[in-house]
Amino acid sequence: MNSLDFSIVVQAWPYLWSGLLFSLSLTAAAFLVGMFLGTLFALVQHFELRILSQLVRSYVALMRSIPLILVLFWFFFLVPIVLGHLSGNGRPVPVGATYTAFITFGLFEAAYYSEIIRVGLRAVNKGQFEACQALALSTFDTYRHVVLPQVFRVASPIILSQTIILFQDTSLVYVLSLTDLLGAASKLAQLNGRLVEMYLAVAVVYLMIGCAASQFVASLRRKYAIAGARR
Amino acid sequence: MQQERTVSPADPSPMVVVEHLVKRFGSFNALSDVNLEVAKGEKIVLCGPSGSGKSTLIRCINHIEKHDSGRIVVDGIELTDRICDINNVRSEVGMVFQSFNLFPHLSVLENCMLAPMKVRGLAESEAHQRSMALLRKVRIHDQANKYPAQLSGGQQQRVAIARALCMQPKIMLFDEPTSALDPEMVKEVLETIVELAQDGMTMVCVTHEMGFAREVADRVVFMDRGSIVEEGDPSRFFRAPNTERAKAFLNQIIH
Ligand SMILES: Nc1ncnc2c1ncn2[C@@H]1O[C@H](COP(=O)(O)OP(=O)(O)O)[C@@H](O)[C@H]1O
Ligand SMILES: [Mg+2]
Repeated sequence: MNSLDFSIVVQAWPYLWSGLLFSLSLTAAAFLVGMFLGTLFALVQHFELRILSQLVRSYVALMRSIPLILVLFWFFFLVPIVLGHLSGNGRPVPVGATYTAFITFGLFEAAYYSEIIRVGLRAVNKGQFEACQALALSTFDTYRHVVLPQVFRVASPIILSQTIILFQDTSLVYVLSLTDLLGAASKLAQLNGRLVEMYLAVAVVYLMIGCAASQFVASLRRKYAIAGARR
Repeated sequence: MQQERTVSPADPSPMVVVEHLVKRFGSFNALSDVNLEVAKGEKIVLCGPSGSGKSTLIRCINHIEKHDSGRIVVDGIELTDRICDINNVRSEVGMVFQSFNLFPHLSVLENCMLAPMKVRGLAESEAHQRSMALLRKVRIHDQANKYPAQLSGGQQQRVAIARALCMQPKIMLFDEPTSALDPEMVKEVLETIVELAQDGMTMVCVTHEMGFAREVADRVVFMDRGSIVEEGDPSRFFRAPNTERAKAFLNQIIH
Protein backbone atom coordinates (compact mmCIF):
# COMPACT_ATOMS: atom_id res chain seq x y z
CA MET A 1 0.00 0.00 0.00
CA ASN A 2 1.60 3.23 -1.06
CA SER A 3 1.28 6.42 0.96
CA LEU A 4 -1.48 8.98 0.43
CA ASP A 5 -1.03 11.22 -2.58
CA PHE A 6 -3.36 14.18 -2.67
CA SER A 7 -1.93 15.64 -5.85
CA ILE A 8 -4.29 13.22 -7.55
CA VAL A 9 -7.19 15.15 -6.04
CA VAL A 10 -5.85 18.40 -7.42
CA GLN A 11 -5.62 16.87 -10.86
CA ALA A 12 -9.12 15.48 -10.55
CA TRP A 13 -10.52 18.76 -9.24
CA PRO A 14 -12.11 20.06 -12.49
CA TYR A 15 -14.07 16.85 -12.85
CA LEU A 16 -15.07 16.85 -9.17
CA TRP A 17 -16.05 20.49 -9.52
CA SER A 18 -18.41 19.74 -12.39
CA GLY A 19 -19.94 16.98 -10.25
CA LEU A 20 -20.31 19.39 -7.36
CA LEU A 21 -21.95 21.97 -9.62
CA PHE A 22 -24.44 19.37 -10.78
CA SER A 23 -25.26 18.42 -7.17
CA LEU A 24 -25.69 22.06 -6.22
CA SER A 25 -27.87 22.97 -9.20
CA LEU A 26 -30.03 19.89 -8.71
CA THR A 27 -30.40 20.79 -5.03
CA ALA A 28 -31.26 24.40 -5.84
CA ALA A 29 -33.81 23.45 -8.49
CA ALA A 30 -35.40 20.75 -6.33
CA PHE A 31 -35.50 23.23 -3.44
CA LEU A 32 -37.31 25.87 -5.48
CA VAL A 33 -39.76 23.48 -7.13
CA GLY A 34 -40.22 21.54 -3.89
CA MET A 35 -40.86 24.63 -1.80
CA PHE A 36 -43.27 26.09 -4.34
CA LEU A 37 -45.28 22.89 -4.74
CA GLY A 38 -44.88 21.98 -1.08
CA THR A 39 -46.35 25.32 -0.01
CA LEU A 40 -49.20 24.86 -2.46
CA PHE A 41 -49.84 21.31 -1.19
CA ALA A 42 -49.74 22.48 2.42
CA LEU A 43 -52.22 25.28 1.69
CA VAL A 44 -54.57 22.90 -0.12
CA GLN A 45 -54.63 20.75 3.01
CA HIS A 46 -54.83 23.76 5.31
CA PHE A 47 -57.92 25.06 3.49
CA GLU A 48 -59.36 21.53 3.51
CA LEU A 49 -60.30 21.76 -0.15
CA ARG A 50 -62.27 18.56 -0.41
CA ILE A 51 -61.12 16.36 -3.25
CA LEU A 52 -57.89 18.21 -3.83
CA SER A 53 -56.66 17.83 -0.27
CA GLN A 54 -57.46 14.10 -0.35
CA LEU A 55 -55.39 13.82 -3.51
CA VAL A 56 -52.51 15.76 -2.00
CA ARG A 57 -52.59 13.66 1.15
CA SER A 58 -52.35 10.46 -0.86
CA TYR A 59 -49.55 11.88 -2.97
CA VAL A 60 -47.56 12.96 0.07
CA ALA A 61 -48.06 9.62 1.78
CA LEU A 62 -46.97 7.77 -1.35
CA MET A 63 -43.83 9.81 -1.88
CA ARG A 64 -42.84 9.59 1.74
CA SER A 65 -43.20 5.83 1.91
CA ILE A 66 -41.17 5.04 -1.20
CA PRO A 67 -37.38 5.32 -1.43
CA LEU A 68 -36.22 8.12 -3.68
CA ILE A 69 -34.20 5.73 -5.77
CA LEU A 70 -37.35 3.81 -6.67
CA VAL A 71 -39.14 7.02 -7.61
CA LEU A 72 -36.23 7.88 -9.88
CA PHE A 73 -36.56 4.51 -11.62
CA TRP A 74 -40.29 4.93 -12.01
CA PHE A 75 -40.02 8.32 -13.55
CA PHE A 76 -37.23 7.27 -15.83
CA PHE A 77 -39.07 4.23 -17.17
CA LEU A 78 -42.74 5.05 -16.66
CA VAL A 79 -43.01 8.68 -17.69
CA PRO A 80 -41.79 8.03 -21.27
CA ILE A 81 -44.39 5.27 -21.59
CA VAL A 82 -47.17 7.46 -20.19
CA LEU A 83 -46.15 10.31 -22.48
CA GLY A 84 -46.14 7.87 -25.39
CA HIS A 85 -49.72 6.85 -24.62
CA LEU A 86 -50.77 10.46 -24.23
CA SER A 87 -49.20 11.45 -27.53
CA GLY A 88 -51.30 8.78 -29.18
CA ASN A 89 -48.92 6.54 -31.08
CA GLY A 90 -47.99 4.46 -28.03
CA ARG A 91 -44.24 4.69 -28.60
CA PRO A 92 -42.31 5.74 -25.48
CA VAL A 93 -41.14 9.34 -25.53
CA PRO A 94 -37.70 9.53 -23.88
CA VAL A 95 -37.45 12.32 -21.31
CA GLY A 96 -33.71 12.25 -20.74
CA ALA A 97 -31.83 11.55 -17.55
CA THR A 98 -31.21 15.16 -16.56
CA TYR A 99 -34.86 16.21 -16.93
CA THR A 100 -35.93 13.08 -15.09
CA ALA A 101 -33.61 13.93 -12.21
CA PHE A 102 -34.78 17.54 -11.91
CA ILE A 103 -38.47 16.69 -12.16
CA THR A 104 -38.28 13.73 -9.79
CA PHE A 105 -36.29 15.52 -7.13
CA GLY A 106 -38.60 18.53 -7.24
CA LEU A 107 -41.74 16.42 -6.98
CA PHE A 108 -40.24 14.16 -4.33
CA GLU A 109 -39.02 16.99 -2.12
CA ALA A 110 -42.38 18.76 -2.46
CA ALA A 111 -43.89 15.97 -0.36
CA TYR A 112 -41.38 16.52 2.44
CA TYR A 113 -41.52 20.30 2.37
CA SER A 114 -45.32 20.25 2.33
CA GLU A 115 -45.37 18.26 5.57
CA ILE A 116 -43.01 20.74 7.22
CA ILE A 117 -45.09 23.71 6.07
CA ARG A 118 -48.38 22.03 6.95
CA VAL A 119 -47.23 21.58 10.53
CA GLY A 120 -45.92 25.17 10.54
CA LEU A 121 -49.29 26.49 9.37
CA ARG A 122 -51.03 24.76 12.24
CA ALA A 123 -48.62 26.37 14.68
CA VAL A 124 -49.57 29.93 13.69
CA ASN A 125 -51.56 31.53 16.49
CA LYS A 126 -55.30 31.92 15.88
CA GLY A 127 -54.98 35.54 16.96
CA GLN A 128 -52.85 36.27 13.90
CA PHE A 129 -55.69 35.26 11.61
CA GLU A 130 -58.16 37.28 13.66
CA ALA A 131 -55.96 40.36 13.55
CA CYS A 132 -55.85 40.04 9.76
CA GLN A 133 -59.62 39.69 9.60
CA ALA A 134 -60.08 42.71 11.82
CA LEU A 135 -57.85 44.72 9.48
CA ALA A 136 -59.91 43.55 6.49
CA LEU A 137 -56.89 41.93 4.85
CA SER A 138 -57.84 39.57 2.03
CA THR A 139 -57.12 35.87 2.44
CA PHE A 140 -54.33 36.21 -0.12
CA ASP A 141 -52.66 39.09 1.72
CA THR A 142 -53.15 37.32 5.04
CA TYR A 143 -51.18 34.31 3.87
CA ARG A 144 -48.74 36.23 1.72
CA HIS A 145 -47.73 38.86 4.26
CA VAL A 146 -48.57 37.49 7.69
CA VAL A 147 -49.01 33.73 7.87
CA LEU A 148 -46.49 32.26 5.43
CA PRO A 149 -43.58 34.52 6.43
CA GLN A 150 -44.05 33.35 10.00
CA VAL A 151 -44.25 29.72 8.91
CA PHE A 152 -41.07 30.00 6.84
CA ARG A 153 -39.25 31.61 9.75
CA VAL A 154 -40.31 29.08 12.32
CA ALA A 155 -39.68 26.18 9.96
CA SER A 156 -36.47 27.48 8.39
CA PRO A 157 -34.12 25.28 10.46
CA ILE A 158 -36.10 22.15 9.56
CA ILE A 159 -36.42 23.24 5.94
CA LEU A 160 -32.67 23.70 5.80
CA SER A 161 -31.94 20.30 7.36
CA GLN A 162 -34.24 18.74 4.81
CA THR A 163 -32.33 20.58 2.09
CA ILE A 164 -29.00 19.24 3.38
CA ILE A 165 -30.44 15.73 3.17
CA LEU A 166 -31.60 16.58 -0.34
CA PHE A 167 -28.08 17.68 -1.24
CA GLN A 168 -26.68 14.38 -0.05
CA ASP A 169 -29.43 12.44 -1.83
CA THR A 170 -28.41 13.91 -5.17
CA SER A 171 -25.76 11.16 -5.27
CA LEU A 172 -28.60 8.78 -6.19
CA VAL A 173 -28.57 10.14 -9.73
CA TYR A 174 -25.93 7.53 -10.49
CA VAL A 175 -28.83 5.18 -11.28
CA LEU A 176 -29.62 7.48 -14.21
CA SER A 177 -25.94 7.46 -15.25
CA LEU A 178 -25.62 11.10 -14.22
CA THR A 179 -22.54 12.29 -12.40
CA ASP A 180 -22.78 14.30 -9.20
CA LEU A 181 -19.95 15.02 -6.77
CA LEU A 182 -19.86 11.56 -5.23
CA GLY A 183 -20.35 9.95 -8.63
CA ALA A 184 -17.44 11.92 -10.06
CA ALA A 185 -15.20 10.89 -7.20
CA SER A 186 -16.07 7.21 -7.44
CA LYS A 187 -15.60 7.14 -11.21
CA LEU A 188 -12.16 8.65 -10.86
CA ALA A 189 -11.36 6.36 -7.97
CA GLN A 190 -12.16 3.36 -10.11
CA LEU A 191 -9.90 4.70 -12.85
CA ASN A 192 -6.86 5.72 -10.85
CA GLY A 193 -7.25 3.34 -7.94
CA ARG A 194 -6.90 6.19 -5.39
CA LEU A 195 -10.07 5.35 -3.50
CA VAL A 196 -8.94 6.66 -0.12
CA GLU A 197 -7.80 10.06 -1.40
CA MET A 198 -10.85 10.59 -3.58
CA TYR A 199 -13.37 9.60 -0.91
CA LEU A 200 -11.56 11.64 1.73
CA ALA A 201 -11.64 14.64 -0.56
CA VAL A 202 -15.38 14.44 -1.22
CA ALA A 203 -16.02 13.78 2.46
CA VAL A 204 -14.24 17.07 3.21
CA VAL A 205 -16.38 18.88 0.64
CA TYR A 206 -19.61 17.42 2.07
CA LEU A 207 -18.39 18.30 5.56
CA MET A 208 -17.65 21.89 4.60
CA ILE A 209 -21.02 22.36 2.96
CA GLY A 210 -22.73 20.71 5.90
CA CYS A 211 -20.91 22.96 8.39
CA ALA A 212 -21.67 26.08 6.37
CA ALA A 213 -25.32 25.10 6.32
CA SER A 214 -25.51 24.49 10.07
CA GLN A 215 -23.75 27.80 10.70
CA PHE A 216 -26.41 29.39 8.56
CA VAL A 217 -29.18 27.64 10.51
CA ALA A 218 -27.63 28.83 13.76
CA SER A 219 -27.43 32.40 12.52
CA LEU A 220 -31.07 32.23 11.41
CA ARG A 221 -32.01 30.96 14.85
CA ARG A 222 -30.13 33.82 16.48
CA LYS A 223 -31.72 36.37 14.18
CA TYR A 224 -35.25 35.19 14.85
CA ALA A 225 -34.52 34.74 18.51
CA ILE A 226 -33.91 38.49 18.65
CA ALA A 227 -37.07 39.26 16.70
CA GLY A 228 -39.00 36.81 18.86
CA ALA A 229 -37.45 37.59 22.24
CA ARG A 230 -39.68 38.15 25.24
CA ARG A 231 -38.81 40.95 27.53
CA MET B 1 -84.07 51.92 32.46
CA GLN B 2 -82.05 55.08 32.26
CA GLN B 3 -80.63 56.07 28.95
CA GLU B 4 -78.27 59.00 28.59
CA ARG B 5 -77.15 59.25 25.00
CA THR B 6 -74.78 61.69 23.40
CA VAL B 7 -76.21 61.54 19.93
CA SER B 8 -75.06 64.41 17.81
CA PRO B 9 -78.23 65.99 16.47
CA ALA B 10 -76.64 66.54 13.06
CA ASP B 11 -76.34 62.83 12.36
CA PRO B 12 -78.87 60.70 14.15
CA SER B 13 -78.32 57.48 12.20
CA PRO B 14 -76.65 54.94 14.48
CA MET B 15 -73.13 53.63 13.90
CA VAL B 16 -74.06 50.08 14.84
CA VAL B 17 -77.42 48.39 15.03
CA VAL B 18 -77.67 44.91 16.46
CA GLU B 19 -81.12 43.35 16.30
CA HIS B 20 -82.28 40.00 17.70
CA LEU B 21 -78.77 38.65 17.46
CA VAL B 22 -78.35 34.93 18.10
CA LYS B 23 -75.04 33.12 18.11
CA ARG B 24 -74.72 29.43 18.88
CA PHE B 25 -71.68 27.26 19.41
CA GLY B 26 -73.12 23.82 18.71
CA SER B 27 -76.25 23.68 20.82
CA PHE B 28 -74.98 26.31 23.24
CA ASN B 29 -76.48 29.80 22.92
CA ALA B 30 -73.59 32.20 23.39
CA LEU B 31 -75.86 35.11 22.45
CA SER B 32 -79.64 34.93 22.63
CA ASP B 33 -81.66 37.80 21.22
CA VAL B 34 -79.24 40.65 21.81
CA ASN B 35 -80.33 44.13 20.81
CA LEU B 36 -77.93 47.05 20.88
CA GLU B 37 -77.63 50.40 19.17
CA VAL B 38 -74.45 52.41 19.22
CA ALA B 39 -74.85 56.04 18.22
CA LYS B 40 -72.16 57.93 16.33
CA GLY B 41 -69.61 59.19 18.82
CA GLU B 42 -71.03 57.10 21.61
CA LYS B 43 -68.75 55.25 24.03
CA ILE B 44 -70.08 52.04 25.45
CA VAL B 45 -68.50 49.93 28.14
CA LEU B 46 -69.53 46.30 28.00
CA CYS B 47 -69.17 44.31 31.19
CA GLY B 48 -70.36 41.07 32.70
CA PRO B 49 -69.11 37.81 34.10
CA SER B 50 -66.65 35.65 32.19
CA GLY B 51 -68.44 33.58 29.57
CA SER B 52 -71.39 35.96 29.34
CA GLY B 53 -70.84 36.57 25.62
CA LYS B 54 -69.09 39.97 25.61
CA SER B 55 -66.30 38.88 23.29
CA THR B 56 -68.71 36.98 21.08
CA LEU B 57 -70.88 40.07 20.70
CA ILE B 58 -68.12 42.39 19.61
CA ARG B 59 -66.56 39.70 17.44
CA CYS B 60 -69.89 39.35 15.64
CA ILE B 61 -69.85 43.07 14.87
CA ASN B 62 -66.84 42.65 12.57
CA HIS B 63 -67.80 39.13 11.55
CA ILE B 64 -64.88 37.35 13.17
CA GLU B 65 -67.72 35.22 14.48
CA LYS B 66 -70.57 34.55 12.09
CA HIS B 67 -73.95 35.14 13.71
CA ASP B 68 -76.73 32.59 13.30
CA SER B 69 -79.68 34.93 13.10
CA GLY B 70 -80.64 38.53 13.64
CA ARG B 71 -79.30 41.63 11.96
CA ILE B 72 -76.07 43.58 12.28
CA VAL B 73 -75.78 46.91 10.47
CA VAL B 74 -72.57 48.92 10.69
CA ASP B 75 -72.71 52.47 9.38
CA GLY B 76 -75.55 51.53 7.07
CA ILE B 77 -73.92 48.34 5.74
CA GLU B 78 -75.72 45.17 6.70
CA LEU B 79 -73.45 42.23 7.51
CA THR B 80 -74.44 39.39 5.22
CA ASP B 81 -72.45 36.41 4.02
CA ARG B 82 -71.24 38.40 1.04
CA ILE B 83 -67.50 38.82 1.23
CA CYS B 84 -67.65 42.41 0.00
CA ASP B 85 -70.10 43.40 2.77
CA ILE B 86 -67.86 41.71 5.30
CA ASN B 87 -64.76 43.50 4.07
CA ASN B 88 -66.55 46.84 3.84
CA VAL B 89 -67.65 46.50 7.43
CA ARG B 90 -64.29 45.24 8.65
CA SER B 91 -62.40 48.10 7.09
CA GLU B 92 -64.58 50.58 9.02
CA VAL B 93 -64.29 48.71 12.33
CA GLY B 94 -61.04 48.72 14.29
CA MET B 95 -60.42 46.01 16.83
CA VAL B 96 -58.00 45.68 19.71
CA PHE B 97 -57.52 42.28 21.30
CA GLN B 98 -56.65 41.24 24.82
CA SER B 99 -53.51 39.51 23.55
CA PHE B 100 -52.43 42.34 21.16
CA ASN B 101 -52.00 40.00 18.19
CA LEU B 102 -49.27 42.09 16.62
CA PHE B 103 -47.45 40.50 13.69
CA PRO B 104 -44.21 39.29 15.29
CA HIS B 105 -42.17 39.19 12.08
CA LEU B 106 -42.90 42.81 11.19
CA SER B 107 -41.52 45.91 12.85
CA VAL B 108 -43.87 48.22 14.72
CA LEU B 109 -44.00 50.51 11.71
CA GLU B 110 -44.62 47.66 9.25
CA ASN B 111 -47.39 46.36 11.50
CA CYS B 112 -49.12 49.71 11.05
CA MET B 113 -48.43 50.13 7.34
CA LEU B 114 -49.56 46.72 6.08
CA ALA B 115 -53.35 47.06 6.03
CA PRO B 116 -53.49 50.70 4.81
CA MET B 117 -51.36 49.69 1.83
CA LYS B 118 -53.02 46.37 1.05
CA VAL B 119 -56.62 47.22 1.89
CA ARG B 120 -56.85 50.99 1.36
CA GLY B 121 -54.33 51.03 -1.46
CA LEU B 122 -52.20 53.75 0.09
CA ALA B 123 -48.79 54.44 -1.38
CA GLU B 124 -45.88 53.45 0.84
CA SER B 125 -44.94 57.06 1.64
CA GLU B 126 -48.51 57.90 2.59
CA ALA B 127 -48.85 54.79 4.76
CA HIS B 128 -45.52 55.59 6.38
CA GLN B 129 -46.59 59.12 7.17
CA ARG B 130 -49.95 58.07 8.57
CA SER B 131 -48.40 55.29 10.65
CA MET B 132 -45.76 57.56 12.14
CA ALA B 133 -48.39 60.17 12.99
CA LEU B 134 -50.51 57.61 14.82
CA LEU B 135 -47.52 56.03 16.53
CA ARG B 136 -46.66 59.51 17.75
CA LYS B 137 -50.23 59.91 18.99
CA VAL B 138 -49.89 56.79 21.12
CA ARG B 139 -46.39 58.02 22.09
CA ILE B 140 -44.44 55.10 20.72
CA HIS B 141 -42.94 56.60 17.55
CA ASP B 142 -39.41 56.26 18.94
CA GLN B 143 -39.86 52.47 18.87
CA ALA B 144 -41.11 52.35 15.28
CA ASN B 145 -38.32 50.14 14.00
CA LYS B 146 -38.36 47.65 16.85
CA TYR B 147 -40.09 44.30 16.73
CA PRO B 148 -43.15 43.63 18.91
CA ALA B 149 -41.30 41.19 21.15
CA GLN B 150 -38.82 43.92 22.06
CA LEU B 151 -41.60 46.02 23.61
CA SER B 152 -43.41 45.81 26.93
CA GLY B 153 -47.02 44.65 27.00
CA GLY B 154 -48.30 48.18 27.42
CA GLN B 155 -46.25 49.38 24.48
CA GLN B 156 -47.43 46.48 22.36
CA GLN B 157 -51.04 47.25 23.12
CA ARG B 158 -50.53 50.90 22.17
CA VAL B 159 -49.01 49.75 18.88
CA ALA B 160 -52.07 47.55 18.36
CA ILE B 161 -54.27 50.60 18.90
CA ALA B 162 -52.23 52.63 16.43
CA ARG B 163 -52.35 49.78 13.92
CA ALA B 164 -56.14 49.72 14.11
CA LEU B 165 -56.36 53.52 13.84
CA CYS B 166 -54.22 53.48 10.67
CA MET B 167 -57.27 52.11 8.85
CA GLN B 168 -59.16 55.26 9.95
CA PRO B 169 -62.03 53.22 11.37
CA LYS B 170 -65.39 54.75 12.23
CA ILE B 171 -65.72 52.66 15.36
CA MET B 172 -63.24 50.92 17.64
CA LEU B 173 -63.91 47.68 19.46
CA PHE B 174 -61.77 46.79 22.46
CA ASP B 175 -61.86 43.31 23.97
CA GLU B 176 -60.41 43.57 27.47
CA PRO B 177 -57.46 45.63 26.23
CA THR B 178 -55.77 45.75 29.62
CA SER B 179 -56.51 42.28 31.02
CA ALA B 180 -53.25 40.75 29.80
CA LEU B 181 -51.11 43.60 31.12
CA ASP B 182 -49.03 43.93 34.24
CA PRO B 183 -50.75 46.37 36.62
CA GLU B 184 -48.19 49.14 36.07
CA MET B 185 -48.94 49.19 32.34
CA VAL B 186 -52.72 49.36 32.55
CA LYS B 187 -52.71 53.11 33.03
CA GLU B 188 -50.73 54.02 29.90
CA VAL B 189 -53.09 51.98 27.74
CA LEU B 190 -56.24 53.32 29.37
CA GLU B 191 -54.95 56.87 28.96
CA THR B 192 -54.48 56.24 25.26
CA ILE B 193 -58.05 54.99 24.96
CA VAL B 194 -59.37 57.95 26.97
CA GLU B 195 -57.63 60.35 24.58
CA LEU B 196 -59.17 58.53 21.66
CA ALA B 197 -62.58 58.87 23.29
CA GLN B 198 -62.01 62.59 23.78
CA ASP B 199 -61.29 62.89 20.07
CA GLY B 200 -64.84 61.69 19.48
CA MET B 201 -64.20 58.12 18.38
CA THR B 202 -67.20 55.80 18.62
CA MET B 203 -66.21 52.84 20.75
CA VAL B 204 -67.37 49.67 22.42
CA CYS B 205 -64.98 48.54 25.10
CA VAL B 206 -65.18 45.32 27.08
CA THR B 207 -63.53 46.09 30.38
CA HIS B 208 -63.94 45.80 34.11
CA GLU B 209 -61.98 48.98 34.80
CA MET B 210 -64.66 50.94 36.60
CA GLY B 211 -62.69 54.17 36.86
CA PHE B 212 -62.22 54.13 33.12
CA ALA B 213 -65.90 53.36 32.55
CA ARG B 214 -66.94 56.28 34.77
CA GLU B 215 -64.60 58.61 32.95
CA VAL B 216 -65.44 57.86 29.34
CA ALA B 217 -68.55 55.72 29.01
CA ASP B 218 -71.82 57.27 27.90
CA ARG B 219 -73.48 54.00 28.71
CA VAL B 220 -72.60 50.78 30.49
CA VAL B 221 -74.08 47.59 29.09
CA PHE B 222 -74.16 44.63 31.41
CA MET B 223 -74.38 41.14 29.96
CA ASP B 224 -75.01 37.81 31.56
CA ARG B 225 -75.51 34.37 30.00
CA GLY B 226 -75.71 35.66 26.47
CA SER B 227 -78.18 38.48 27.04
CA ILE B 228 -78.07 42.16 27.86
CA VAL B 229 -79.48 42.29 31.36
CA GLU B 230 -79.14 45.95 32.18
CA GLU B 231 -77.80 49.16 30.73
CA GLY B 232 -77.48 52.71 31.86
CA ASP B 233 -75.41 55.65 32.91
CA PRO B 234 -72.10 54.48 34.43
CA SER B 235 -72.25 56.47 37.66
CA ARG B 236 -75.74 55.19 38.35
CA PHE B 237 -74.97 51.64 37.26
CA PHE B 238 -71.91 51.25 39.46
CA ARG B 239 -73.57 52.92 42.45
CA ALA B 240 -76.98 51.31 42.28
CA PRO B 241 -77.50 48.57 39.71
CA ASN B 242 -81.12 47.65 39.07
CA THR B 243 -80.79 43.91 38.71
CA GLU B 244 -79.66 41.28 41.17
CA ARG B 245 -77.30 39.78 38.64
CA ALA B 246 -75.52 43.09 38.12
CA LYS B 247 -75.30 43.58 41.88
CA ALA B 248 -73.75 40.14 42.32
CA PHE B 249 -71.31 40.82 39.52
CA LEU B 250 -70.23 44.22 40.87
CA ASN B 251 -69.73 42.73 44.33
CA GLN B 252 -67.44 40.16 42.80
CA ILE B 253 -65.23 42.56 40.91
CA ILE B 254 -64.91 44.94 43.83
CA HIS B 255 -63.88 42.22 46.26
N1 LIG C 1 -65.26 29.15 19.49
C1 LIG C 1 -66.06 28.74 20.48
N2 LIG C 1 -66.53 27.48 20.52
C2 LIG C 1 -67.36 27.08 21.50
N3 LIG C 1 -67.79 27.85 22.50
C3 LIG C 1 -67.36 29.12 22.52
C4 LIG C 1 -66.48 29.63 21.52
N4 LIG C 1 -66.23 30.94 21.81
C5 LIG C 1 -66.91 31.21 22.93
N5 LIG C 1 -67.61 30.13 23.36
C6 LIG C 1 -68.46 30.08 24.53
O1 LIG C 1 -69.39 31.13 24.44
C7 LIG C 1 -69.59 31.72 25.71
C8 LIG C 1 -69.31 33.20 25.62
O2 LIG C 1 -67.94 33.40 25.41
P1 LIG C 1 -67.28 34.82 25.36
O3 LIG C 1 -68.05 35.67 24.41
O4 LIG C 1 -65.85 34.63 25.07
O5 LIG C 1 -67.48 35.35 26.83
P2 LIG C 1 -66.84 36.59 27.55
O6 LIG C 1 -66.02 37.34 26.57
O7 LIG C 1 -67.99 37.37 28.08
O8 LIG C 1 -66.01 36.04 28.67
C9 LIG C 1 -68.67 31.00 26.68
O9 LIG C 1 -69.43 30.06 27.39
C10 LIG C 1 -67.68 30.32 25.80
O10 LIG C 1 -67.27 29.11 26.38
MG1 LIG D 1 -63.94 37.67 26.53
